[in-house]
Amino acid sequence: MIPQLTNLLNPWQWALLAAVPPAIIALYFLKLKREPLQVPSTYLWHKSIEDLHVNSIWQRLRRSLLLLLQLLLVALLMLVLLKPSLKGTSFKQNRLIFLVDNSASMGATDVQPTRLEEAKRRVLELIDQMGSNDVAMIVSFSDSARVEQMFTDNRGELRRRLDAIQPSDKPTSINDALRLASVRANPGRSATDFKTDTAVAEALPAEMFFFSDGNFADDPEFSLGNLTPAQPVWIGTKDPRNVAIAAFSTARSETNVEKLQAFGRLENSGLTDAALDVELLLNNEVIDAENVTIPAGKSRGIKFDLDRLEAGVLELRLITDDHLAVDNHAWTVVHTPRKGRVLLVTPGNEPLQMALRTERAVEMADTMLKSPDFLTTVDYRNQSAAAAWDLIIYDRCRPETMPQANTIFIGALPPGDQWAELEKVNVPAIIDVNRAHPLMQWIDLSDVLVIEAKPLTPPTGSTALVEATEGALMAVAPREGFEDVVLGFELIGADKIGTNWPVRPSFPVLVLNALSYLGGNRDAGGTGTVQPGRPVALRPETEAERLQVVPPNDEDAVDVTRGKHGVFHFAATGHVGVYEVLEGSKEIDHFAVNLFDPRESAIQIQPDRVLKIGHVETSSSTDWNEARRDTWKLILLGALAILVFEWYIYNRRAYL
Amino acid sequence: MPSEAVPLLSPELLAQLERLELVSRKIFRGRIKGERRSLRKGQSVEFADFRNYVPGDDLRFVDWNTYARLDRLFLKLFMEEEDLHFYCLIDASESMNFGSPTKLDFARQLAAALCFVGLIRSDRVKIETLGQSAAQRGPTWRGRASVWRMLDYLQGIKAGETVSLADGIKNFCLRNSGRGIVVLISDLMDKQGYDEAFRYLTAQRMDPYIIHVLSDEEIDPDVKGDLKLVDSEDGDITEITASVPLFKRYKQTLAAFIGGAQEFCARRGMAYLFARSSQPVDQLVSGYLRKRGLIK
Repeated sequence: MIPQLTNLLNPWQWALLAAVPPAIIALYFLKLKREPLQVPSTYLWHKSIEDLHVNSIWQRLRRSLLLLLQLLLVALLMLVLLKPSLKGTSFKQNRLIFLVDNSASMGATDVQPTRLEEAKRRVLELIDQMGSNDVAMIVSFSDSARVEQMFTDNRGELRRRLDAIQPSDKPTSINDALRLASVRANPGRSATDFKTDTAVAEALPAEMFFFSDGNFADDPEFSLGNLTPAQPVWIGTKDPRNVAIAAFSTARSETNVEKLQAFGRLENSGLTDAALDVELLLNNEVIDAENVTIPAGKSRGIKFDLDRLEAGVLELRLITDDHLAVDNHAWTVVHTPRKGRVLLVTPGNEPLQMALRTERAVEMADTMLKSPDFLTTVDYRNQSAAAAWDLIIYDRCRPETMPQANTIFIGALPPGDQWAELEKVNVPAIIDVNRAHPLMQWIDLSDVLVIEAKPLTPPTGSTALVEATEGALMAVAPREGFEDVVLGFELIGADKIGTNWPVRPSFPVLVLNALSYLGGNRDAGGTGTVQPGRPVALRPETEAERLQVVPPNDEDAVDVTRGKHGVFHFAATGHVGVYEVLEGSKEIDHFAVNLFDPRESAIQIQPDRVLKIGHVETSSSTDWNEARRDTWKLILLGALAILVFEWYIYNRRAYL
Repeated sequence: MPSEAVPLLSPELLAQLERLELVSRKIFRGRIKGERRSLRKGQSVEFADFRNYVPGDDLRFVDWNTYARLDRLFLKLFMEEEDLHFYCLIDASESMNFGSPTKLDFARQLAAALCFVGLIRSDRVKIETLGQSAAQRGPTWRGRASVWRMLDYLQGIKAGETVSLADGIKNFCLRNSGRGIVVLISDLMDKQGYDEAFRYLTAQRMDPYIIHVLSDEEIDPDVKGDLKLVDSEDGDITEITASVPLFKRYKQTLAAFIGGAQEFCARRGMAYLFARSSQPVDQLVSGYLRKRGLIK
């Protein structure tokens, strides 16, 4: 809103104009032409004036009020000739959509006070420049989008709603916000994929303004339709300092299973090397600390050896004054060790039974061995429905319905039509093992030979763990809070050996991985960490139908009721920290919400980033199209008002 | 702005005036018998008192009936009736020629009313202006028959005399040394002040009444803008810029001027009366002058 002036006159015209005020003053200094008036006697007048001469300076000033007014009038008229205007923004449409990023990275303080506040300030500027015909809508977005204010021309309401946007700790995704904006601008488009949602506002072309730091991916698939994106404004600086905790977890020591180890990964996304102290806290008391140096743009791991500890909340804390605070803390919850409960249903599988009898496996789980006949008993039905086991392994058999437990199917398909298998193939060539999955860690199948297998067609959302040229031989798929692992080949057949895997070293490792990952064994950190905004499935060992979750930032506790399959789902994980789970007033569990998002932690902005939405590419800019907002009309009105005032003074000055 | 058409006395006022007479706070000896009761005992028909006879008394006034009864000589005293000298002194300077009606018109009407009262009560009535020289004497009227001559004389008075207030009154006092009531009708707008003039009046053995007449324009001036005020008498110029403080100051000066004259008169036993030229004369005569005791 910087005032601008335009010169409408050439120099000699200015000179002429500049001569006007001195001329007025000169005229005033000349003797006033007084109107003669005959009066009976000047006797009394003369006496009155003699008295008034005492304060004659004031008299002169009073007389020059008209002069001052005339000079002011001329000055204003000269200003009008300069055609003053304010620098503003021109809107392409009269329907505006402001998309305000309130993700975690917008809490960075490299722009004072925060990037979010700066974004709000920029939006306010635009709201102030809205014309009388303009309507605007405000959408805040992080990993999901929310309409803060529908289209309105009420600027006061827009300001209020804008002010109410709160920072969040969530990651960024532009897609949801684009859908919300698009549905207001394009007829017949739905905000969700469900066709039941219809546009509530009349769909008209609109201009879309981004206020973000650009920490999100382009959306080349999105069709803008009637939406016109304005040049985005990336809020932030090119060289902020930030050291982030990218990962933090605990695991049992490989050398001494009695001991726990805490692992963290620190990333320095700044442009300078960072030296800082890292503290490890157990239940808010410092138990260890280390001084680390991280080169610019690099990451490094950090490891703490912990003595035997029962349970508690571990916090990793970076002592640094970088620009983003939300990723300087990470938490993990250490639970009381508890053995997993495993049911093995098999007609007889010596290698598997042996693998479940190893010292480590016995430590991790209690295994119950049953024959396939057991599946038809009432006892099985009741216990499987009541989640009596954490993991059920079906070897060459299958139940009628899926149990309330994680499952592993060996040489058989789960009931239902979700899973399918292809034709039997002989000696399939194993081409890939998904070692990133916890089940397949430290597993090497290069020496494993499968005699015959039926490649699997897993349901959507599943992950192939072992792939052969003909298809997946082993896959894992989620099912209502549980996971099902299916092997497309038998370990030992009824009459012949199906594979040589059981005699390879990787087999017991697989069994241990399965016990650790699927067997409900929680001694290595228990529930995994959750990102802000993601739902958490709680399975506490309690009969209660209602739990309370206390968020970390002094917010009110949230009631959670037991959902289907006995799982409590909690979705309000908007902030990082440790959430307490209460049953009544008794604390029964904790879970940690951590940012752990390299994209949010890398807070440098790229000022020349090109935003690509659909086929439209909008190059960034620090400002929008400039437009002149003329103010000379207002000044002219002011001059007119002064003229009227002067006329009034002239006519009424006898009474002033 | 003199208006010849203004009748000096309306019939209604005349009817009202018929019932009035002039009163003096001092008792003066008239030259001839008038209709006025004198302190002196005289030869009227109204009995007043008895007193003892002393040698030299007129034997015509001895009460012989009392002598017959008491064998002592008593003199019968009767009430004496006498006339009054009434002087009306009009300021006919140029400044009196302002206002609507003009202050001079007002003065003429007031003088006519007062003189009429005097004439019908057989008082000796004399009208003079300040501008008359010491040697120039005005006519004296007496009796109802003189009313029309008196009115003609009043009509003949024109504004434009240039003599100062003090000189005018001095000349008047030189011309008229006798006793009586003198009514001065003036705006007192004299740059040398009124003090000296009033002192001449008090030195006479007269009963002076000062009727101070100002026009509405002088009391509430209605002027705007930058003006050059020209004095109607001496052409003196005063430049003013109309403003509220100036008007305020003017009003204060005017109030001080009127108040000063009032106080001056009160101290010296002169009757002072302030009048607006726009005020109806009958109202002034029948209301205010009666209250102040000039007429009853």
